[in-house]
Amino acid sequence: MYGRVIGVTVLGVGGHPVTVEAFVGRGLPSLTVTGLPGAAVQDARDRIRPAVEHAELEWPLRRVVVNLAPGNLRKEGAGLDLPIAVSVLVATRQVPPEAAAGHVFFGEVSLKGEVLPTPGVISVAIAAARRGLRGVIVPAVNAVEAAQVDGLAVIGAATIQDVVGFLRGTWRPPAIGPSETGSEPATSADLSEVRGQDEARRALEVAAAGGHNLLMVGSPGAGKTMLARRLPTILPDLTPEEALEATQLHSVAGLLAGRGLLRERPFRAPHHSVSTAGLLGGGSTVLRPGEASLAHRGVLFLDELTEFRRDAIEALRQPLEDGRIVVTRSGGSVSFPARFTLVAAANPCPCGFSGDPQRSCRCRPDQEDRYRQKLSGPLLDRIDLRLTIPRLTKDELLGASAGEPSAVVRDRVIAARDRQRRRYSTLGITCNAHLPGPIARREAQLCPDAERLLGRAVDHMALTGRGFDRVIKVARTVADLAGAARVSEQHVAEALSYRTAFEQDEGLARAG
Amino acid sequence: MLLLRCLLGPTPRSLHALIWRTGSASRALARIRAGDAGSENDRAFLASTDVSQIRRNLDRVGARFAAPGDPDYCPAFLRLADPPVGVFARGRPLVRGDHRVAVVGSRRPTATGMEVAADLARGLAVAGVLTVSGGAVGIDAAAHRGALDAGGVTVAVLGSGIDVAHPARNRGLFERIEALGTVISEYPPGTPAEPFRFPARNRLIAALSRGVVVVEGAAKSGTRITAEHAVDLGLDVFAVPGPVTSPLAETPLGLIRDGAILIRGTADLLEDLGLDGDASGERGVPRGLSADERRVLAALGTSMLPTAVAGVAGMPVAEALTVLIGLELRGLVRGVGGRFERTFRAAGS
Repeated sequence: MYGRVIGVTVLGVGGHPVTVEAFVGRGLPSLTVTGLPGAAVQDARDRIRPAVEHAELEWPLRRVVVNLAPGNLRKEGAGLDLPIAVSVLVATRQVPPEAAAGHVFFGEVSLKGEVLPTPGVISVAIAAARRGLRGVIVPAVNAVEAAQVDGLAVIGAATIQDVVGFLRGTWRPPAIGPSETGSEPATSADLSEVRGQDEARRALEVAAAGGHNLLMVGSPGAGKTMLARRLPTILPDLTPEEALEATQLHSVAGLLAGRGLLRERPFRAPHHSVSTAGLLGGGSTVLRPGEASLAHRGVLFLDELTEFRRDAIEALRQPLEDGRIVVTRSGGSVSFPARFTLVAAANPCPCGFSGDPQRSCRCRPDQEDRYRQKLSGPLLDRIDLRLTIPRLTKDELLGASAGEPSAVVRDRVIAARDRQRRRYSTLGITCNAHLPGPIARREAQLCPDAERLLGRAVDHMALTGRGFDRVIKVARTVADLAGAARVSEQHVAEALSYRTAFEQDEGLARAG
Repeated sequence: MLLLRCLLGPTPRSLHALIWRTGSASRALARIRAGDAGSENDRAFLASTDVSQIRRNLDRVGARFAAPGDPDYCPAFLRLADPPVGVFARGRPLVRGDHRVAVVGSRRPTATGMEVAADLARGLAVAGVLTVSGGAVGIDAAAHRGALDAGGVTVAVLGSGIDVAHPARNRGLFERIEALGTVISEYPPGTPAEPFRFPARNRLIAALSRGVVVVEGAAKSGTRITAEHAVDLGLDVFAVPGPVTSPLAETPLGLIRDGAILIRGTADLLEDLGLDGDASGERGVPRGLSADERRVLAALGTSMLPTAVAGVAGMPVAEALTVLIGLELRGLVRGVGGRFERTFRAAGS
């Protein structure tokens, strides 16, 4: 007796269709699973029989062999529980084979026969649509994810009995209402809540407009975290493709919990004790996306940058360079997208109060040196915008006006981004931050005054080659926000003002 | 004599007393070896130490030993309550006719303090006066650099062995100092820098000079100690005042109350020392500033945010920022912690 259905295994972010065959034949009762099943899939052997019997269906008292093809692809995750069960039901003719054809089955099964929420459903749906199949049968909780993919019938089942009922034609799944298609509660964060700090708000706008990474240096309580959290509120809305990408990553990580498409840009703020695997992704059996990937199309906020592990920070170089993370295991490698805006925050010195208007710094010079070392490195090179956030005095805070709301700032950001997109349409990049150095100088179109100011800065501020490129890119963004075709002296001056004490001291040290 | 100096146990004063009593260094040594003077440790040290090894160490770093009577042993040292038995020196020998003034201050000064120290040392150098300081980070280093950048001679007194560059980050600076000037230490090669050595070396700084200038210093600081030695020696003490809210102004302000001479900058110092010199340096608001630049400079009080400067100067923030950056590139304005302030150079007008 033979039965065959289609399941999916999720590897990294993508779903790979798996042909699940069941053979029931002569021999002592047993269930063998072949086809490189991973640990969770092996567990299925013990889960499925009680589940099927609980649903008042029969489990054959014969020898059962289930094969998962293709045989050279490792199968991970518990999502194959359901197709394995259904394949046996098809083999024993408890459900009609024609009904199962053309559908993908996916979901973990409990001992009671419930179909449990399983991560990765949206990837399953995408894989099914790509295969040209007509429908997916997935856990009811996750059904809304699959509904985001066009052209598929979505059957959300809560129990194996539902699945069997559907296949026998006796049960119809409830329709998925439009209100369920991914409405997240709007966050209450808004840029207008930041009092004073005009320079920092402006820097945020520049970062958003040009896609620049941002480093904020300031004393504790200056407002770095508050500002970082408001960056997603001034970024343009996710495009449908971007939303799908981000939703897939969150689905695969098991974080969607019954929601549909993500509507807002992700904001991830891992604690500095996070491991390299936690930040970049990994895991021994199932490869899960890390914080950097969960921040894809959004913001990754590293508060207290100096406290993060050096190797974790170093490893962020790859995604900052390519926009993806490649995780290699013995069975092969998986690529997770990771294109995010990096926002980092740090204190100016170990005690935190260097440069503070009211409290004096208690650090020894060698402590400061060591601290500075921790901040330097290849990661810093990829951060275009560096900013000192001053701790405002009482008078400054009281006198400060409420700032513009995020919506107003976002409009300017979108306009600036459009200009960049048009300008770079032939270059294959979308924003100033991605400009390679030599091209930046050409694309910037500096006015003579701007060139002069830059020249003086090189002399007097000891600007390095990389620093020079950074200033040009940021100045280009400032010009885009002003709608100017050429970069003027004012734009360069603003770009030069974005620096921290570390660059200034570096300049001084170089000068002798 | 060299050997005696290397005895770390007895104080310089007791050694001097011993030499005085016995009549010569060698006899003093003999006494110690015999056990009539000094401690058990001293005897053991003498027994195990080879003078020629010490001499070799000195030669290796190009240092020499100076006892009272040698040119590098400044006669003023003998006026101290606790004169050194001998000193080690590198670089240019001390010349009897040299005029030397000490410029000392905090290891963690403000940027303005460093500017002032450098400018004072520059002014002294142009007037032909040597700057003496302790080679530490902060005011000391700024003073040494100010003198060196003006092509002047400077003397550094170390709190560590003559061959030990402390702090290590100033190694380059010490090399520059030695090239044109002198590095002096009371301690033999290999002696590490330890906190208790610094007050001791401060007395030498004072003794080498005809006046001591205090730029910035916290209440109970080494800077205060140097000033007190100066007072004991009957030297002039000068102090640069700071704002009453600043912890670093406590020593200078306290000294001024106690009678130190208040100086606002190089012009005052040179005048009080009776020297002709280039007091203006590069100070003062240069001619050729635009109206906008003058307005912004005038609007700058103490540390201000760019938005505040723009408000006072009555111009849009972007314009004010451009002017501020331009002024910064000319050295008239400095950005600190997101705020802007005038530099010392811009203050004299």
